[in-house]
Parts: sequence; C-alpha cells; structure tokens
Amino acid sequence: MTPQKNALAVCARLLWLLGVATSSIAAAPQLPLAPVSAAPAEDGQWTMPAKNFASTRYSALDQIKASNVKSLGLAFTFSTGVARGQEAAPIVVGDTMYVVTPYPNYLYALDLKNGGQLKWKYAPKPVPAAQGVACCDHVNRGVFYDGGRLFMNTLDGQTIAVDAASGKEIWKAKLANINLGESITMAPLVVKGKVLVGVSGGEFGVRGWLAALDAATGRLAWKAYHTGPDKDVLIGKEFKPFYAMDKGRNLGVKSWPPDAWKIGGGTVWGWISYDPDLDLIYYGTGNPGPWNPEQRPGDNKWTDGIFARDPDTGSAHWFYHVIPHDLYDHDTVNELILLDIPVGGRMRKVMIRPERTGYLYVIDRASGQVLSADPFYENINAYKGVNLKTGRLVTVADKEPKMGKVVRDICPTAPGAKDWNPSAFSPRTGLIYIPHMNLCMDWQSTQVSYISGTPYIGANVRMKAGPGGYRGELTAWDVMRRRSAFKIKEDLPLFSGALATGGDLVFYGTLDGWFKAIDARTGKLLWRFKTGSGIIGQPVSYRGPDGRQYIAVLSGVGGWAGAIVSANLDPTDPTAAKGFVGAVPDLKQRTTPGGTLYVFALPGR
Amino acid sequence: MCSRFLAGSTMMAMLLLSACQREQRQSSGQPLAETAPASVQLPSVLIAGSRPAPTDPRGRLYEGNAYFLNEGQRLFEQFNCTGCHAHGGGDIGPPLMDDEWRYGGQMDQIVASIAYGRPNGMPSFADKLTEQQMWQIAAYVRSMSGNVPKDVASSRADELASTPSLTRTPRQPIRGEAGGGLQGVAP
Amino acid sequence: MRRPPLLVAALLLGGCSGEQSALDPAGVHSGAVLHLFGLFFWICLLAFALVIAFLAVAMLQARRVDAAQSERTEHDAIASRLLRGWIVFIIVGLLILTLGSYFTDRNLALAAPDTGQSNRVPIRIKLTGQQWWWQVEYEDPNASQQIRTANELHLPVGVPVHIRLESIDVIHSFWVPNLAGKQDMIPGRHNDIELLPTRAGHYRSQCAEFCGLQHAHMALDVVIEPMADWLKWRAQSIQPAKAPAGAEEKAGYAYFMEHQCSACHSITGTPAFGTVGPDLTHFASRPSIGAGTMPNTRGHLEAWIANPQGVKEGNHMPYLAVPPDKLHALGAYLRSLS
Repeated sequence: MTPQKNALAVCARLLWLLGVATSSIAAAPQLPLAPVSAAPAEDGQWTMPAKNFASTRYSALDQIKASNVKSLGLAFTFSTGVARGQEAAPIVVGDTMYVVTPYPNYLYALDLKNGGQLKWKYAPKPVPAAQGVACCDHVNRGVFYDGGRLFMNTLDGQTIAVDAASGKEIWKAKLANINLGESITMAPLVVKGKVLVGVSGGEFGVRGWLAALDAATGRLAWKAYHTGPDKDVLIGKEFKPFYAMDKGRNLGVKSWPPDAWKIGGGTVWGWISYDPDLDLIYYGTGNPGPWNPEQRPGDNKWTDGIFARDPDTGSAHWFYHVIPHDLYDHDTVNELILLDIPVGGRMRKVMIRPERTGYLYVIDRASGQVLSADPFYENINAYKGVNLKTGRLVTVADKEPKMGKVVRDICPTAPGAKDWNPSAFSPRTGLIYIPHMNLCMDWQSTQVSYISGTPYIGANVRMKAGPGGYRGELTAWDVMRRRSAFKIKEDLPLFSGALATGGDLVFYGTLDGWFKAIDARTGKLLWRFKTGSGIIGQPVSYRGPDGRQYIAVLSGVGGWAGAIVSANLDPTDPTAAKGFVGAVPDLKQRTTPGGTLYVFALPGR
Repeated sequence: MCSRFLAGSTMMAMLLLSACQREQRQSSGQPLAETAPASVQLPSVLIAGSRPAPTDPRGRLYEGNAYFLNEGQRLFEQFNCTGCHAHGGGDIGPPLMDDEWRYGGQMDQIVASIAYGRPNGMPSFADKLTEQQMWQIAAYVRSMSGNVPKDVASSRADELASTPSLTRTPRQPIRGEAGGGLQGVAP
Repeated sequence: MRRPPLLVAALLLGGCSGEQSALDPAGVHSGAVLHLFGLFFWICLLAFALVIAFLAVAMLQARRVDAAQSERTEHDAIASRLLRGWIVFIIVGLLILTLGSYFTDRNLALAAPDTGQSNRVPIRIKLTGQQWWWQVEYEDPNASQQIRTANELHLPVGVPVHIRLESIDVIHSFWVPNLAGKQDMIPGRHNDIELLPTRAGHYRSQCAEFCGLQHAHMALDVVIEPMADWLKWRAQSIQPAKAPAGAEEKAGYAYFMEHQCSACHSITGTPAFGTVGPDLTHFASRPSIGAGTMPNTRGHLEAWIANPQGVKEGNHMPYLAVPPDKLHALGAYLRSLS
C-alpha cells in the first residue's frame, strides 16, 4: 500500500474510533448530582446524621476501597452503657466524636486523638415515665453540631443545646408533654440559626407539630401543627400546592370528623432536608390517629404528606399528600434526598423519597409535582400505584382494613417496605442504596377510645415474612434508569441505615449484628464483621486525626424491629410489638441486647 | 330404682351448685364499692426474719369468677391495655404472660400497679377506672399467665386469635413463688 | 322488678299508640308489608271460615247416618262438587298469595333505589349495635359534617335512608316495626336496610335478636319529622357541645373530664373522646336514657348515674360511687347539652 493510502487508512480508523467514543459518551445517561449548596465538598467530618442538608449520607473519602476492605479491622470500641436500640449516627467534628444514646439519652464526647477515650459525658436526666409513651423502643436518632454547640432531643420532650468543647448545658427547652403521649426521638436539624424539632406520638393520638427554636437562646420562633385550621398549620398566602386534592381552606379541619383532628397524629419524627438555593425545608408527616381508618373518615390532612416550608417563618410553600386517608400506619417521614437530575431534556431540582409504601418517589422540590413513583419493593399488593395526574395513591379495596374482620396478607406491612432507616446516595454510581424489608401482615381493626397518655391504635396486627421467605433486602436503585441495579436478600429485616463511600463501598448492618461492606457497583459482599448486638444505627465515615479513613457504627438491637430483644417480649404472642414479634420470633436466638460503638479502619502506622 | 334416682339427682344438684360461684355477680341491685389496696408489699427481701404480708382475700374472689374474667378481658381491650402490652406479649410495656413481674404478680400488686401507676411508664388509672374494674382487669391479667382455675378462664378471644386459648395456657408461676406465696416463704 | 303495673300499662298504651306497631305503617316498606299481611289475612280468614263451615256441616250431617241410598249419592255429588271448588279455591288462593309475596318483595327492593336521583339523594347512616345500645353515625361526603349520636334516629319524611348495620360484639337485629322489617347486625360483616318514612311521628325500635342480659332494654327512639325541622336538628347536631354556663354545670363538667366519664364517653368540643359508651354531645335532646330504658328527665338521669346497675343490671356502665353533690352537678351539666 502506498504511504498516502496508509495515512488515509489510519486517519479513517482514528476518526471511526473518535465517533465510537463520542457516541458512547452521549449514550451513557448523565448521573444525578446533589446540589452543591446542600451537599458541600468533603471535609472529612460528619457534622449531622444525614451528612449534609441534601441527605446523601455519602462520604467522598476513598482510602478504604474494594481492594483493601478485607483488611478492615477494629480501631476502637466504646460501650454506651445503655442496652436498648441504638438508632443514632455518631457525629464527628474535628477530633471529637459525639454519640447520643437511647433513654436516658446520655451524650458522650470521645477524643479521637486518644483512641476514643471519653472526654466528657452529659446526662440530661429525662423523666423515667417518658418510657411509657415511646412507641418503638426508647431510641434517639442523633445530635446536630452547629457553631460550637451540639443540639439534642430527649425522650421526655426537651431540646438541649450543649457546649461541644466542655459538655456544659447552654439552654434547655421543654417542648413536649408526656401526659399527652408526646415524646421526641428525632435528630434535630439546625438551619439558618433555627433548631427544627418535631414531636413523636402518632400511636398516642398526639396532634403532630414541627417547632423551630432560636439556636442561641432556645426560645420558640414558630410552631407548625399538622392538623387543624390553616393558621395553626402556618398555611398562608405563600401556600401553592401542586395538586387539586391539596387545595382549599382549612382542609386540616374539613377532612376529619368533628374534633378528630385534635387527636389526629401527623407527627414529625423522621428526616428533614434543606435546599439553600430555594431556601426551603422539606420533611414528611407521620400517620393519622387512630390506626383504625373507619374512625376517621375523610382525607385526614395534613398527615402522611410532604411539606415544603420557609425555615425563617415556617410558612408552608407546598404540600403533597402522599397517602390520603392512610389505612396501614404508613408514616411518610423517611429521608428526602435532594438531587438535580435531567428529566425530559431539562435539569429538574428533585427530591427522592424511598417511601414506606414501597414506591420510590421523584418529586420536583420547587413545585411538589410527582415526576415518578416506581416500586422498589416488588411485592406490593395493598396499592395499585400513583395516579400521576391527580397525585393520588390508589388503594386496593380487598386489602382495606375492616372492623371486626381480619384482612390477611397485606403487603407491605405497617412499618412499610422501608421504615425510617435512611438510604444513601453515591454520586459515583448514581445509585441509591435502600435498606428495607419484605414483610406482610394480617390486620383487624377494632374500636378504640382516646384516653390521653395511652395508645390510640385500634388495630390488632400480626406480621410475617413476605413472599419468598426472606425478611430483609438491600435494593440499589438506579435513579436515571428507574429500576433496581441489584438486590441483596437478607434473612432478617434491615433496620439500619446505609453509608456510601468514595471507595465505591456501601456499609450497612443486619439485625443480628453483622456489619457488612458491599461493592457499590455489583453488590458483592466484600467484608463483614460480627458486632456484639443487632445493628439498627446509621454508619458514618470520617477522616481521623491521623489522616486515616474510619467507619463508625453503633451496635445495639432494638427499635420497632428489635423490640422483642431490647424489651424482652414474649414470642408466644405474635401481636406483641404491634405485630413485629410475629415477623421475628427467632430474634432472641440470634442476638442479645447491647449498646456499643464500633469504629473500624485499615491497619495503619 | 328410687335410690338410683336419688343418687343421680343429688349428683346433678352438686354439680349445679358448684358452678354457682363461677358466675356469681354482685350487680343485682346492691352495688359493690371495691377499693384498690391502700398499700402493697412488692417482691422484696424479707430481712431479719420478718414475714410476708398476707395475700388479699379479694384476689381469690375475682380470680375464681368467670364473669369478672370476661369483663376484665373486655376492659383490657377497651382501655388500651393492649396498646402497650399487646395480648400478653408486651410492646411499650412488659409482657404479662410470662413469669417475670417487675412490680409483683399477686392480684393486689397488679391492682396497685393499675391504680397508682409505676415509675417507668405505667400510667395511673386511678380516676379513669372504678376499683372493681381494676380487680377485674387484674384477674384477666393473671389468666394470661395461666394463674387462674382452668374452668373460669375465658375460652374465647373476640379478636385476631394469636395466642393459645386461655383455658389451655400453661401455668407460669410467679418467679420465686413457692406454692403461691411471696419470695422466701418456707412452705 | 318493682314496677309491673307500670309496665303493663305501658304495654297496653304502647299497643294503642302504635309507636312500635307493624300494623301502623309510617313508611313505604312497612306499608307494603302490611298490604301483603292484609291479603294473607283475608284469604286465610276466608279459607278458615270455609273450613269451619264445612266442618260444621259435616258434624251436623253425620247424625243422619241412616240416610237413604239416593240421598247419599246426592250428598256425594254435592260433596265432590264442593271439593272441586275447594281445590280451585286453594290453587287460586295460593297463587294470589305467592304472586302477592313476589311483587311485594320486588317492590321493597326497588322502593328507594340507589340511582342518581338528585332530588332524592339517600341519607346514609351507619348503625352499630353494641351491648346494649346503638351507635348512630350520619355519613357525609364532607367528613367534618358527620354526626355521631346514640340511641336515636332522626329522619325527614319522604327521603330514602340507607342504613349500614354493623355490630362489634354479638348479633343484634334492627327492627322499626312502623317502618320496615328486621335486619340482623352481625359482627364481622355489614348488612344494609332501607327505610322511606312517609308520616311524621315518634316511633320505637327494638333489638330483635337476643343479645344478652339486657336485650329487652335495647330500644331506639325513631323521630320522623318534616324536612324543615329535620334540617334544623341536623344543623344543631353538627355543632359542638355547649360550653357549661353556670357554676353547677361547670362543676359537673370538671367532674366529667377528671373522672371515669371521659374515658368511656365522648362530647365533641371537650377533651372527652371515649367510644366505649354512647356519645353525649347533644344528650339533653334525647328522648330516653339507656337505649329506651328510662325517659330522659332529671330524676331518671341522676338515678341512672347513681346506680346504672340497679336500673339496667349487667350493662357496661359500672357503679361509680359519685358523691351526691357531684351527682347533681353532673346531672346539671348533662342536661345542658341540648
């Protein structure tokens, strides 16, 4: 061949290769990204349970990766001294780690420069009677660090600001009344100098609310209720819900029988996210009371929905009613992961919510419009789907609870396909790692009286494993392709949070104490460690003073799933723990109560 | 012939009479004003040779009566006891069907728990239930651990049947109980 | 019982006034049934009369056993003709009765069809039978306009009513003789019944399925009134309870909320949310206490509160040992809830 022809051939080949390369780049879907203002660059700390306001629970640290995770070992442990459900996320600021325990809500500061030695301990001394109004173990989901202070909630309804350096109490605010069945278990969120705290007690007929306290003084700035007249719900001129079903005046009264909204639920005990660009906080409200739906005909606003509010005034901007007239105690308080994704050709600011019902919602966070609601849980038989035109969830008539009748095999069960335990998002893989459950239930509604301070439920429930016999599952959901990338079946329900790291690993814990690391792209189990008790806490990752990457998690079974162990319940009665004992009667043989912090790292200097 | 008839009718009469107590009610015209025990001795160490307090005789009266047990069963659901204790398995409150009793498992100790509440979260029902209702509920609670005569235990649960029938519940004697007394009693 | 003469008088008077009488229809369904009853009655009466007549004739004729052969054959001929006529009468009579039953039944089924007749939208009520009282809930597409009351049924004339019947404990049966037939209320399932009142008045319903010790004292007051009056009642019933005005009412209110009362009863607009016992929001305007056991007067009310077991033994309201001064205060408060 002549040199010219040779050159031409080479050029042609190069051009062809270029074409292939560019076309393959164009074919690969763009990965979703958390907005930078809500998910700032990695600093090696973990200053709030959700990691950032976008709730990604992703650490960009990549020292620990697939190739070396098998040598991950214990760096240190710390016994919290409380053997009940440990749902908190350890918080790391600088060289100190802060851990809060379930009742009696001790707050510990551990010196990371000194092998995790105890620096100080703060004991808020909550009232012991508060244990009688905590529906699902005496848990606490974490503290929040802001401006040199730690903000924590106690079971008996107090919010406390503690000096992070000394452990001295700065101020204390009493927000909840245990005689009404109120308690507080959530982790607070501090936004623009306001501490946001919500109340628990949907099982006690508590009228739910979200309060904002001034972070400097602890004085109440605003309080928004979730039932009742518009002025109590802080619905004003700025309120522009997307769907027709949420439009109207005083719907918080009109969608209830007379007076029922006063004991109507709508508590806030889960997660709050914040978008600094739109200046809106987003959170979901809990179930309406009682569980027996026949005692509260109507749509039951504003329970079981997602609010967007102005953090300074609390004024509501929009609301989406995820589940009008809830039938199954499907609280909608799960995490809301804020992402920017391309939808239909343009970038949309959305929030992703793996919901209790088993659907993964993608909602426009500016308007409240539902863009998609695909099932991440395959065995849903209680719902048919979401009507995207009206926004309404479609229920199945055969599976509706009836007074006096036992409706069998309702899936998902009352704690849902996925409960409060938060998922994590990895911007490297574009997947959301959802630890969840596969359980179904038999349900019988009964008539119930409201007696303040006692449970207001009205249902006998018995749970069991779902189709397939496996009770837990980790689903890796591909946000762009709208389907699961891989699923890992677990024998026991998954009640721990998930952590995604820059080393392309995902960490989560099982109810019998195994702390696992899996490959973020394939789901292959790469490492596991048997901790002393079941894990229901939120794993975190941070850069220690020595520059190494650490993974920390609290081990201590409990919560609703592990109550049979932490509260020593009797498995002979499958309706114990509101039916959960029926799902895990073997848990006492698999694990024991505990309360220990485990911190792992690669072997170092 | 006559003697056989006499024997048969005597036996019948005895059977019928023995069943009388099982269903005795005190509501015919003369109301019964029961009280909660003013003080009870909780399970404790008996020091220096002291003797345990005598058991309250009202306990037997309520435990052996099918009507009171049935009423207790109804009240247990209607006053939200199932919300914290489920059907004996426990939840927010401890299980009631096992042998472990934090504050005592004798009838008067259970009535005192219901009436006055307990520090770790048991509410006080002092003004919300009548004392007689508290004794009825206490009797039902005892039946959940099989500690009532089998012929008076409620044989039927009106709701989601999740535990074995109370007439067939095996007896779980109170931990440390030797033949029905408090701890440390020598038989 | 210490009041048999009163009871007898009540029964007799009851029979006269027709407040619980199937023979005094005030509604379409009972009217249709009464017509059918009339048909059966007269045909059967005729048949009965004929049978008695034949029997009488046969007894009289039997004396003449030595009748002549020719007389006997004459009698036989008459007898066989009569017999043929009797058979025809039976066939025709049964046919009339069967067709009457069939058409009445079809008529009742379509008396108030649930179609989109905009000017006759049926009133929907959920009636729950409990031992030994009735929980009545008026349903409404607007949830906050629902009415919950007990032991009384207020209905307007001329509007069809659909009642959904449920029970939470044992089998009861709903029966308003003046308006319709019986329909059982079975725990774990729901039954339906239709009513279409045509005449105003006060009627009495009675539980028609043995449901325990106080089955006899489980009555329901049914008040049928003109539409204008009914709308007034409805508007009044949607209102929350009146706040206590005087000192005695306030004392009664305080006692009610602090003691056992609020654990079992509910009063809209107050902290009482109990569902074990009847709703008392508009108690003072109810005709009777204890599901028709006693009239709603001051004396009866305080007697009831003082000792419910003495009045209605075995019912689920316990003996409360209310101190006498609090008793008057409670009575005053409850009588203010109109």
